Amino acid sequence: MRNLIEFFKRFQVFLVFAALQGVALSTYFTSMSFPRSQYLTSASKVNGEILSWKYEFTKHFNLAYNNTRLQKANIRLRETQPGSFIRLQYGLVKIDDTLYKQQYEYMPATVINSTFDKRNNYFTLNVGSAQGIERDMGVFSDYGIVGVVHNVSEHFSVVKSVLTEAINIDVMMESSEAHGLLKWDGKDARVGSISGISNDMRIKKWDRIVTRGGSGIFPKGIPVGKVSRIGSIEGLPLWDISVLFSEDYRRIQRVYVVRNLLKKEQEKIESLIPVDKEETTR
Amino acid sequence: MIILFKHTVRFVLFLLAQALLFNQIELGWGIHPMIYPLFILLLPYNMNVFLSMLVAFALGIGIDSISNTYGLHASAAVLLAYLRPMIFSVFEPRDGYEEGLEMNIYSMDFMWLLYVFGLMLIVHHLWFFTLELFKFNEILFILKKTILSVPVSLILCILIQVIFVKKTGDRS
Repeated sequence: MRNLIEFFKRFQVFLVFAALQGVALSTYFTSMSFPRSQYLTSASKVNGEILSWKYEFTKHFNLAYNNTRLQKANIRLRETQPGSFIRLQYGLVKIDDTLYKQQYEYMPATVINSTFDKRNNYFTLNVGSAQGIERDMGVFSDYGIVGVVHNVSEHFSVVKSVLTEAINIDVMMESSEAHGLLKWDGKDARVGSISGISNDMRIKKWDRIVTRGGSGIFPKGIPVGKVSRIGSIEGLPLWDISVLFSEDYRRIQRVYVVRNLLKKEQEKIESLIPVDKEETTR
Repeated sequence: MIILFKHTVRFVLFLLAQALLFNQIELGWGIHPMIYPLFILLLPYNMNVFLSMLVAFALGIGIDSISNTYGLHASAAVLLAYLRPMIFSVFEPRDGYEEGLEMNIYSMDFMWLLYVFGLMLIVHHLWFFTLELFKFNEILFILKKTILSVPVSLILCILIQVIFVKKTGDRS
């Protein structure tokens, strides 16, 4: 017993050090996949206030760029309006029918804090649960996908952006519909990669890549980027594809959050799939 | 009492400067300047190591919570506070340190500061980037980030002392 007390006395500094390291590292390594609370993120009340205050200064830096982009998006949408078309054929009447039911809703949001050169980059949005934001909602902008909501407080939310290690959004080639998972290697904020596309698929350089919409987080067809390099992985029948993102994450400000109105239904029906025994034992 | 107040103000200033300014600027090539090690260096020399580890932990968690790094800065800061007395004793001058001295650019020899602070920054940055990337095959990138970031952080920390620390040791 005396030896034990002696031991603790001798190593007490190291023990306190180890305890503090344990706390810090366990939060770091678990929060990547399972956020335990919002208090230690930028979604918490105090940090959200500090960041909105900072945003009041920095929002002007990219204002012209973002306004031009919004204008372009408006033009694109205006061109699809009935008023921009001449009617070529009379007699056809569009009836508001029951063939279509709305599946996705979009909510506007502003990025008040973002990084792009760290290993894992999170964006803070100025909307939260009071505006109906929930965890695992998709976020995109006019030019491409942005990320998935990771953590929500009452008035702020943290988005796990495309520029994080384990983002794994399912994407596909627009032309061939070959699909894979989007990844990021942590170096260049403009380039990502896709894994899991079999190398017997034909892929051309500068093919467009869009979201697949399989997991119900994003609708189908939101742009991601273009193929910038195709390589082969040694020993695997897969392509190693680099993607040039169509969105410039370094200057992003205005984004949209996707709410999937049918997500519960999809999750419910997918949970009925029996667990594959071979898969669990493997 | 004045010392406590001074360090509290510094704590807040370093926290906000690191989280809102230095974590946001991009210099390219993976450079990530970090200035809060300076706060840990400037703590009183004879401060209790438990207390300085707790203060470092709080500073790190504060920075983490704003920049969403979940304990990464806290871990590196605690390591630095833990190693601080050892590094100080290794580099102790022949006639020892003065009691209650603040180790800044005016009270210490410039070469001493360069050695001690360079070593502290190398350890801190290496630990930080290793945890951040945490992959064996990224080891070259970790070393590149460390080698490029340490001089930037060192120059920034010396500039901050030149600009903000008065010769008497008080912060303006």
